[in-house]
Amino acid sequence: MAKFIVRRLLLMLLTMFLVSVAVFAITTAAPGNVARNVLGIQITKEQEASFLAQNGLDKPAYQRYLFWLVGTDWRAANKVGLPVEQITTKDGFKEWWAVADDGVLLRWKLEGENLTVQRRQPDGTVKEENDNSRWQVKDAASEAARLEAYRETLLQNAQLTDADRQAILQPLDQILAGLRAGETGRGAEPIPAWLSQAEAELEILRDPKASQQKQALQKAATGITSKDSLIQTTVVFQTLSSPAASSLKSSDFQFMAGQLNRAAVKLKDLNPPISEQLKRAYESLKAGAAGAAQAALAEAIPTVNQLTGNFGALTAALQNGEYQQAAAVFQDLSDPAKTPLDAAQLTVLVDILKLAEMNFKDANADLSKVLKQAIKDMQAGNLDSARAAFGQSAGMLVEMGSVIARNDAAGLAKVGRMFWGIDTQNHAVRWETGSGKEVWVFIQGTGWKAFSGGPMEYIPLQRGLLRGDPGVSLRTGRPVADLLFIRLRNSLVLAGTAFVIVMPLALILGIIAGLNEGKTLDRLLSIGGMMFSVTPEFATGIFLILIFAFWLQLVPGATVFGEKAPWTRPDMLVLPVMTLTLVELGYVLRITRASMVDVMKAPYIRTAFLKGLPYWRVVMKHAVRNALMAPITVIMLHVNWLLGGIVVVEVIFGYPGLGSYLLDSALFKDFNAIEGGAMILVMVAVSTQLLADIVYTFINPRIRYA
Amino acid sequence: MTITEQSARLFVKPSAWQRLRSKFSVLFASKIAVIGLVIVLFWVLAAIFAPLLTPYSPTAQDYKAQNSGPSAAHILGTDDLGRDLWARLIYGARVVLVILPVGDHFWLPGGTAIWGVALGLLIGITLGLMGGYLGGWVDEVVMRLLDAMMAFPVILLYMIIIAAVGASATNVVLAIAIVGTPGIARLVRSLALDIRTRDYIRAAEIRGENPFFIMFVEILPNARGPIIIDAMLRVGYAIFAMGTLGFLGLGLPPPSADWGSMVAAGRRYILSGSPWAALWPSLAIATLVVGLNLLADGLREESLRYQ
Repeated sequence: MAKFIVRRLLLMLLTMFLVSVAVFAITTAAPGNVARNVLGIQITKEQEASFLAQNGLDKPAYQRYLFWLVGTDWRAANKVGLPVEQITTKDGFKEWWAVADDGVLLRWKLEGENLTVQRRQPDGTVKEENDNSRWQVKDAASEAARLEAYRETLLQNAQLTDADRQAILQPLDQILAGLRAGETGRGAEPIPAWLSQAEAELEILRDPKASQQKQALQKAATGITSKDSLIQTTVVFQTLSSPAASSLKSSDFQFMAGQLNRAAVKLKDLNPPISEQLKRAYESLKAGAAGAAQAALAEAIPTVNQLTGNFGALTAALQNGEYQQAAAVFQDLSDPAKTPLDAAQLTVLVDILKLAEMNFKDANADLSKVLKQAIKDMQAGNLDSARAAFGQSAGMLVEMGSVIARNDAAGLAKVGRMFWGIDTQNHAVRWETGSGKEVWVFIQGTGWKAFSGGPMEYIPLQRGLLRGDPGVSLRTGRPVADLLFIRLRNSLVLAGTAFVIVMPLALILGIIAGLNEGKTLDRLLSIGGMMFSVTPEFATGIFLILIFAFWLQLVPGATVFGEKAPWTRPDMLVLPVMTLTLVELGYVLRITRASMVDVMKAPYIRTAFLKGLPYWRVVMKHAVRNALMAPITVIMLHVNWLLGGIVVVEVIFGYPGLGSYLLDSALFKDFNAIEGGAMILVMVAVSTQLLADIVYTFINPRIRYA
Repeated sequence: MTITEQSARLFVKPSAWQRLRSKFSVLFASKIAVIGLVIVLFWVLAAIFAPLLTPYSPTAQDYKAQNSGPSAAHILGTDDLGRDLWARLIYGARVVLVILPVGDHFWLPGGTAIWGVALGLLIGITLGLMGGYLGGWVDEVVMRLLDAMMAFPVILLYMIIIAAVGASATNVVLAIAIVGTPGIARLVRSLALDIRTRDYIRAAEIRGENPFFIMFVEILPNARGPIIIDAMLRVGYAIFAMGTLGFLGLGLPPPSADWGSMVAAGRRYILSGSPWAALWPSLAIATLVVGLNLLADGLREESLRYQ
């Protein structure tokens, strides 16, 4: 017996391993994009790449599987050079820290180009201090190659003025000469004098406000786009025309359709034909026909661009850091030949400019004031003075753009530094400066932020499944294990209640049907049972909702528990339990009936009757025990099927169980959550099968497992 | 003279009509099977003649009549986009039973559920025959593979397959086939294990027939009875699975008429007072699946009686 159980447990481990590999292979090989699923369809390529990197999804597949299985902390410790450790804070958050030689817990963060170390005090508070001495100069040869290439792009950078370019070129050439001679400080060596001097020259060209301004402009562009439905229309058109359109989901279409609808309503009186066109695109999109919507939009877009004064191009240019192009849009607005400023355009443009005026306040208060004046002029009919204000705005944008461009260009001309550390978001991170890449980082609570010179490589820290940590959900950013057990508990409450009701009911009805084989009662019970067991759970659920929640209004038709446990609201459990009960009842009933019919025909039952035993005694003492053998094993083997029913029942009633959690995770391709859930499902399925085998030996002592 | 005539008549081959009637007599002997047959035929005919049975297109929207109840214009009412529910119902039956949409403008005859079961049968029968007839290590490998597939929770398999490869009729067929294969293979294997001990198999082996000839020409036709009844039940499961996938948002992509997704869309409007869009497709799928099961049950009961 013990040997048998051990063998089954080993088989379970093997099955779990195979299932995890299969799930991993399918989710990895499948098309689709987690980043888009989690963050929405309108994220940029950079944001997508950053999301993938932060969650370790940019690594090769075998490595990801290995990390998921055995964790990443050992690898991170290797890179950082210090052991890393997971602690649980007083609020129950799990945090990763590096352990310094003296036992103090350390984490780092990068602000601009300044590295700050956080030291965790014994009482849980954090002390911060500058830690720039940890930077190490990157490999001289590769840096020389990078700066060589950068010199070429610098010569062609259209956003820079000639004077700025010359000012940057001079120290850059010095640095290049020094690098070629191979005279850099490596590791702990001090930085050579020629390098610090050249870098000081570059530092003069930089403006600390510029990077803030750059972010503020980007934020303003996003702000304008997110509020104006006409600009959104142009974004929707671009999304539909891009190659990514094929991976859009129905919910994305609904979202974009809503934007088109608002644009159509806005243009209803101003430009009826275009409004109609947008309405058509909205309808196609709502019905899921992306191609038709794209075609309809293609006709409308030139007019929309004309009406909005091409503001969509302006926000796009600002997001991409192309300030001269953005200024050109303002220049066109000031040109009567290009922008007639007729009645329709005035209405649309005033709305957009009001948004722009508000959003540009952070980036440049003067620009904001000029735009405010322009709005007043347009409303008063002083078109010429408005045009002058647009011209002035163009000039201001050009000026801002050149400062930002100089700042960026000078920053990139410095020799890069790197550092491996633990960040505040539970990753091991390779920070670099001067790599030229801009990194978008999603910070919970504040949203997207761009950092130049930031994290270049992430290793998300986790302990690995083998050490009991299924990782962090990509969808919520919270540990999978926390939620998984609450959801599993909820599902067990639902299934357990149903089980307790189904079992006695189905066994008794099955025995009754079996004893009356062929009679009307039997027909009624077995056909009724069959009907309930083959009807899909969602249909049964809908019927029950209609009858008990809609027409009779006895119990709620949906479940809303929030943070509370399901047993606090038994009335909400009634319909889900009833649905599961009906579906399971028929199945168990039919098996019990068949088994009972078989047993009643056995010779020993006939012998018992012939001995003159009373009917009920024969049934209760001789038949029932033998007849229950088949149903009990079959029920246990049926758990796989029951799990499917639970998923559907949870979705119908919005019940927060494991099934609906798995479904949401599968739709989002939330890999860690799917794997965690799958492991639990396999464990439940295999252990119930084992339980069935063990129970079977007790009911039927003739069976021995050798 | 009379004796020879009688015995001659015994050896006359029955006409095609007689053979057909004798086959269907099993069916008509069971009242339950007849009821099942009527329900199934209703849906099959409605699906085949769908374009003749309704003036509406299943995707035509009517903004003046959204979520309306049954009326003279729309006999079953309309859904949230004003689409006629009767039209969507019978075009939905078409996708299940009569056509398999492959591309935007291309479809194959035979419904999605039917193709799913057929593909499952093809793979399952091949694996089962190989395991059962060839035995040895082939059997061992096939059985372990099937065991692993059966340990995998069905719904998880569906969700991962469809969520991974994307929702389309072809993928639903694949998912149904993959999930159905282990059960079919086990059944066929047990039948093959029994049949391979018969004398005619020995005879074929002594004749030196190819093992694949023996598997598919000697064993398979003699195992057809249980396989056909199992397949009929499996069509029921497949429709069940299609509905469930559609309901979970993993079925045919919108705007195609799909019973499961119709229920999923319609249930949002139940509590605001329009139950029709959720009720009709639920009823449709329930009746069709129950009909198929009644038919299979009746057939099984009758065929057992004559054994």
